[in-house]
Amino acid sequence: MKRIGGFFKDINKNKVLLLMALPATLWFLFFSYLPMAGVVIAFKEYRNSRDGFWASIVDSKWVGWDNFKFLFSTNDAYIITRNTLLYNIFFIIVGLVLAVTMAIILAEITNKKLAKVYQTGMFLPYFLSWVIVGYFVFSFLSFDKGMINQIGSWFGAEPTQWYTEKAYWPFIIILVFLWKSVGYNSVVYLAAIMGIDKSLYEAAMIDGASKWQQIRNITLPMLKPLMTILTLLAIGRIFYADFGLFYQVPRDSGALYSVTNVIDTYVYRGLKATGEIGMSTAAGLYQSVIGFTLVIVSNWIVRKWDKDNALF
Amino acid sequence: MSTKALKSRDFHKLPAGLNVVFNIIAGLFAFACVFPFLFVTIISFTDEQTLATNGYSIFPEKWSLDAYRYLFKAGDQLFRSYGITITVTLIGTLVSLILTATFAYAISRKSFKYRNFFGFFAFFTMLFNGGLVPTYIVVTQLLGMKDTLLALILPMAGNAFYIMIMRTFFVTSVPEAIIESGKIDGAGEFGIFCRLILPLSLPGLATIGLFSTLGYWNDWFNALLYIDNPDLVPLQSMLMRIENSMQFLLQNTNNPSLGAGIMQSLPADTSRMAMVVLATGPIIFAYPFFQRYFIQGLTIGAVKE
Amino acid sequence: MSKVRKSFVTTLVLMLALSLSLSACGGKKEESTGTPEKPVELIWYTIGTPQKDVDRVMEEVSKYTKEKIGATVKMNMIDWGDYTQKMQVMTASGTPMDLMFTSSWAFDYVQNARKGAFLPIEDLLQKQGKGIVDTLDPAFLEGSKVDGHNYGVPANKELPAQSVWRFNKNLVDKYKLNLDNVGSLESLEPLLKTIKENEPGTYALAVDKTFNPIVPFDYIIENMPMAVKVGDKDLKVVNILETPEMKQTLATMHKYYKAGYIPTEAATLTSLSDVQATGKWLTDKATNQPFADNLWSQSLGYPVVSKAASPALIYNWSVMGSMQAISANSKYPEKAMEFLNLLNTDPVLRNMIDSGIEGVHYKKVGDDAMENLPESKNYDMPTFSLGNVMLTYRDKNDPENKWDEFKKFNDSGEKAPLLGFNFDPSKVTTEIAAVQNVKEEFWASLMTGTVDPDKFIPQATAKFKAAGLDKIIAEAQSQVDAWKATKK
Repeated sequence: MKRIGGFFKDINKNKVLLLMALPATLWFLFFSYLPMAGVVIAFKEYRNSRDGFWASIVDSKWVGWDNFKFLFSTNDAYIITRNTLLYNIFFIIVGLVLAVTMAIILAEITNKKLAKVYQTGMFLPYFLSWVIVGYFVFSFLSFDKGMINQIGSWFGAEPTQWYTEKAYWPFIIILVFLWKSVGYNSVVYLAAIMGIDKSLYEAAMIDGASKWQQIRNITLPMLKPLMTILTLLAIGRIFYADFGLFYQVPRDSGALYSVTNVIDTYVYRGLKATGEIGMSTAAGLYQSVIGFTLVIVSNWIVRKWDKDNALF
Repeated sequence: MSTKALKSRDFHKLPAGLNVVFNIIAGLFAFACVFPFLFVTIISFTDEQTLATNGYSIFPEKWSLDAYRYLFKAGDQLFRSYGITITVTLIGTLVSLILTATFAYAISRKSFKYRNFFGFFAFFTMLFNGGLVPTYIVVTQLLGMKDTLLALILPMAGNAFYIMIMRTFFVTSVPEAIIESGKIDGAGEFGIFCRLILPLSLPGLATIGLFSTLGYWNDWFNALLYIDNPDLVPLQSMLMRIENSMQFLLQNTNNPSLGAGIMQSLPADTSRMAMVVLATGPIIFAYPFFQRYFIQGLTIGAVKE
Repeated sequence: MSKVRKSFVTTLVLMLALSLSLSACGGKKEESTGTPEKPVELIWYTIGTPQKDVDRVMEEVSKYTKEKIGATVKMNMIDWGDYTQKMQVMTASGTPMDLMFTSSWAFDYVQNARKGAFLPIEDLLQKQGKGIVDTLDPAFLEGSKVDGHNYGVPANKELPAQSVWRFNKNLVDKYKLNLDNVGSLESLEPLLKTIKENEPGTYALAVDKTFNPIVPFDYIIENMPMAVKVGDKDLKVVNILETPEMKQTLATMHKYYKAGYIPTEAATLTSLSDVQATGKWLTDKATNQPFADNLWSQSLGYPVVSKAASPALIYNWSVMGSMQAISANSKYPEKAMEFLNLLNTDPVLRNMIDSGIEGVHYKKVGDDAMENLPESKNYDMPTFSLGNVMLTYRDKNDPENKWDEFKKFNDSGEKAPLLGFNFDPSKVTTEIAAVQNVKEEFWASLMTGTVDPDKFIPQATAKFKAAGLDKIIAEAQSQVDAWKATKK
């Protein structure tokens, strides 16, 4: 009885904040949690029933872990896991460093008009779909009409068949990724820098701190919470790969699969012939569970070091 | 402290040499980012035959407006799509900002007893989802939003990623002291949020607002799923529909069922590039609106005093 | 951590409760019979770029069908590239609909029939669909059976598939090339050589990544390496890459590639539309139909001639090239079948659906010929996808014997060995996913001749075996054997 009373007292004490959390909570319930019940499909051989979706789920046969098997059945399992992980680790680290660096540069540039122009420019790649980016990369790398081979020929270089030379592709993929994402990601950090209390810098100036010392001792520590959070969130998606980047940009070239095949492209190609939604749901669940586990572990580590910056 | 010094950022000035280096780095990167877009624009103004013969070129032999003529032939469809996109983007961004800011503020408060629960509640949705079909059922059958603008707005309105960013902004840029001072002045929790917290968090709000605007502007997938009525199709969706169908038809060139006539009706490369230009052009102008909040920054002192 | 766990459990409980409450709102069914006074509405999803005047035309169509069968029609068009995905989501979620387009190449017919998306229609065909049974070549209905049931009505159109070599006639004339002996891939060599030597920058053999050389095999699943040889009475399923025919052909392709007859980047080339627009190609592979040369010449803007490269064979995929099916959850299956029957037998309805409203979108110029009016740009439908093609009025420029030639062509077709057999992959889905990935890795570069088959076929075969190809072949063989036994 006392506990229940305490509960209502707590509710009452927090009622305004609870009310503020309510709209988004409802949203999450409807658009995220309700559909989550659908993950049972991952363990079913899904067949339509004429009585609608729920009847279909109930009527479909349980198949246990069968839907997951295709992710682990061959040598490719190792390749796609390795590719997905390595690319993402690289994206997270280099992406973070470059986004923060670019944000600091933009914040420090004296001429604010120019800074605005640069920043607008950096944002443009975000608007181009991967299909268009794919065309663009092709206009550089095409064997007979591509700019790189043409420029090479002025210096007497032999033309290269870029779309079959897998040695170059890890670099091309990373380059294209950074090109497309750094501008977007630097905005968050730039906004955070602008939120830093200016009096901190003023005090540092009075103490005679150099620019570099200001960045190291004020800007970076103030950005740390954001860097931690964004990195933790990125770790959660470490088993997901951007489909377009690995499919459209290398033009689905078979010769490059050993360096471009990732979990998402593998699933797409593998299910083209059978279209089993049970198997695609299983793949998504696998990606989520691994990501979830990794976040929980990293969050636990962050908590040990620095309680305030953890996710939860 | 003097407010004058705070307003100008002179004391914060970069040494001239470093300034030049920074300008070069940012300028070069920005150029690399703008260049493809210029390229796309040039292709859209290239003569189709010239493009087929010479391939992509920065200085085409022959220019042409045909691609745009082709697109404007569809006339009202194009303008209607602009209308849909703009409506959805404006309303969507607003709804999304409200959902994000309120929730993020609640879980940013140390005094909120359930902050960990709600934080986890939001975070969990970033990783797990039920997949396409269950979401489709909730939106169309449970909420009955098929073929309505709501189906373009609501499914994207909540976003745990934005909430996590916004929460961090609240925690780092809003000193606890301000909330306490608000309380001493007798303001309620909600009053503090509206009058003290929100103005202080403008860079964060602008960031989320920008992301959300771009998210809505670029979204095509919700329209693919939920919209059958051609009058409600947004711009990007129109563009992606054409892109997807192009790719599909090209992959099926050997298919005897698809007659030669269908291949013929495919839009040329130039028209597709023109669509990219038309779909991206206007939103670039929305950018400066948000940008001033994270280039100029705020003077916290002004709020404090 | 314990807090996290607690939240997790709470979340799960919430989810479960909500999903239970949701499942309570299951669909109810109502039965109704349509009459001209109180018609039922048929919801129809079909493929193609959405047209502006669809609703307007359907209004006219509905007036007509209301009279005839007591039903009105609501047509939704979904663009080519989105059709498969959207239909998969809609059928899996039980979205109400009555009629839908399906085929071997978009929203896969066999796959979705097995998943239960369509209603089996044998009984309906006998009752409401008599006209369809009478009009269609029996091979259509026979060839589109899945596990013994019909799930869709194939469109009456060209039945067999025949490969041809198409030639750019301008170049043929310029170099006075002799096409009389053209047939096999090998027979092209002297022609390709002439072009390579005299026309730099021209693709002698225009090949892109979708290219498949002509070999006399019938695939178990299109473009997967399991196949049966045409003419093999035992119907032995083999790995096509290990057959002498395929090895020979790929060796020739590689020879051509090294000689520079084939585009350097063929294996990643998505389209040949550039060279087709500029006319910088000599020959490519295409699939034939009556009067195809006229069609191609017209659409390319310069003369094209073609030469047969393979016999005309009736395959599963050619029979299933275009079908209309009744949805498993249709409320009015009988009405839907009556409508399909009308669509396949009634020229008035068929032409209204195909060309729009007479006097607005087209005008008639003779009994069975018509001319498009300018308004037709708002209602430009893919004719082949909407039922019996041979009822449609021919364009005034088409030859008069157009449909007779189609019938002749259909009669000339011979059955491919696996016609009527449909592989059920449900026992080997894991292996198929793996094999599919291996296939995508090697297929285009082998088929376009880009890589040396002596080196890459063994590599590919080893990887295929590791991915479980043998298991699929064994499963396919046992299914083929069972099917063969029922046929005798």
